Amino acid sequence: MNTDIHRLLDEAFADVAMTSDARDLKEEIRANLMARTVELESTGLAPSAAARRAIEELGPLEELLGTSPAAPSPEPMAAQHARHKVRPRPGFVVRTTLLSVVASAAAVLAIAAAAGGIDGGAGAVISLGLISAVALGIVTGDALAQETTVNHPMPRARATGWGVATFAAIAAVAAGGAFALDTGLVASAIAGGVLALASIGLFAWLGATQTNRGKAWVRAAAPAGEDHGFADDNAAARFGLYTAVLWTVGIAVAIALAVAVAWWWCLVILAACVAVMMLMIARMLFARGADE
Amino acid sequence: MTQTDAFAADLLRGNTETIVLGVLRRGDSYGFEIHKAIRDATGGDHEIKEATLYAAYRRLEKDGLVESYWGDESQGGRRKYYRITDAGRAVYRGRVDAWIATRRIIDTLLDVKDQP
Repeated sequence: MNTDIHRLLDEAFADVAMTSDARDLKEEIRANLMARTVELESTGLAPSAAARRAIEELGPLEELLGTSPAAPSPEPMAAQHARHKVRPRPGFVVRTTLLSVVASAAAVLAIAAAAGGIDGGAGAVISLGLISAVALGIVTGDALAQETTVNHPMPRARATGWGVATFAAIAAVAAGGAFALDTGLVASAIAGGVLALASIGLFAWLGATQTNRGKAWVRAAAPAGEDHGFADDNAAARFGLYTAVLWTVGIAVAIALAVAVAWWWCLVILAACVAVMMLMIARMLFARGADE
Repeated sequence: MTQTDAFAADLLRGNTETIVLGVLRRGDSYGFEIHKAIRDATGGDHEIKEATLYAAYRRLEKDGLVESYWGDESQGGRRKYYRITDAGRAVYRGRVDAWIATRRIIDTLLDVKDQP
């Protein structure tokens, strides 16, 4: 891999103030330069010479960085929302419909098994519940990766996170149902508790960090310098750390209490965590006087 | 570069945005590919400088004629793709009509006979 291109690009941008705009441009240029370098190398040029040539071909960067497209758009936000909305693709609709049918059927059968209508008992409840959980998890992740437009899909890892959280929530219900049927299944109860906690923690974290702000058109519409709802970058980082600490400790304590004392202790701890989280959001994101 | 070349390069540069819209009409594309398409179309004799192209992308995006999105991370880093909007297509058609009309006028004024 040719690393010269990165060094030369850093040099070219050395005197440029790294606004989000300049950063975007740098990343865009980087990918194009790498493609051009590969092309030049295929004509027999040495890697370092190819990198230099590609940078030289770029021409003067100053004229580019002078013309910032970040001027506030006169178009109202609602109109922009409407304009940037993207309709779902046919493949996605078919996928979602089929998986929803599978999930519903599995859920109905699981309930039937729980009610004793189908033989199989707790094992059937767990396996059917898991099928339903997997299907709905995929539907959720798929919908999120898709819905937020073709241009700016939710990052795959984040969409997967939502899918996993959904899976964990439903699987927890299935595990809890199996335990209700057969109180001998202590492992199932513990697994259900852990899954429920993990799901709530994951949902809370994903929800708290969910944002539209990464999209190019939102950045373009936002006044310069206002990147997120927090007072500054440090506040945003602090919020992330507090959230991680709160849920790590909360889940650990909940599991410990559930195992050592009684399972319903985990619910108490969980409720406390949610309350603290909400207070934290209220204080850090909507602090009094933050808008002035 | 001869004077003729400079004249041709000027004309080409003057139409950068329309040319980019023309390339994007065939499908979404990213900087290197667009640059290459223009270079190939001119037979390598003329080219539009990449810096000029980047400036054109930004103007086009600001005017809502193209929209951009980041591609998946590949070996070559994250590519910024551009896609022509409906407004972009309309502007493109208008400019092509204007070009054809202007070409006819200039041909008449410069007394260009149809070449065999």
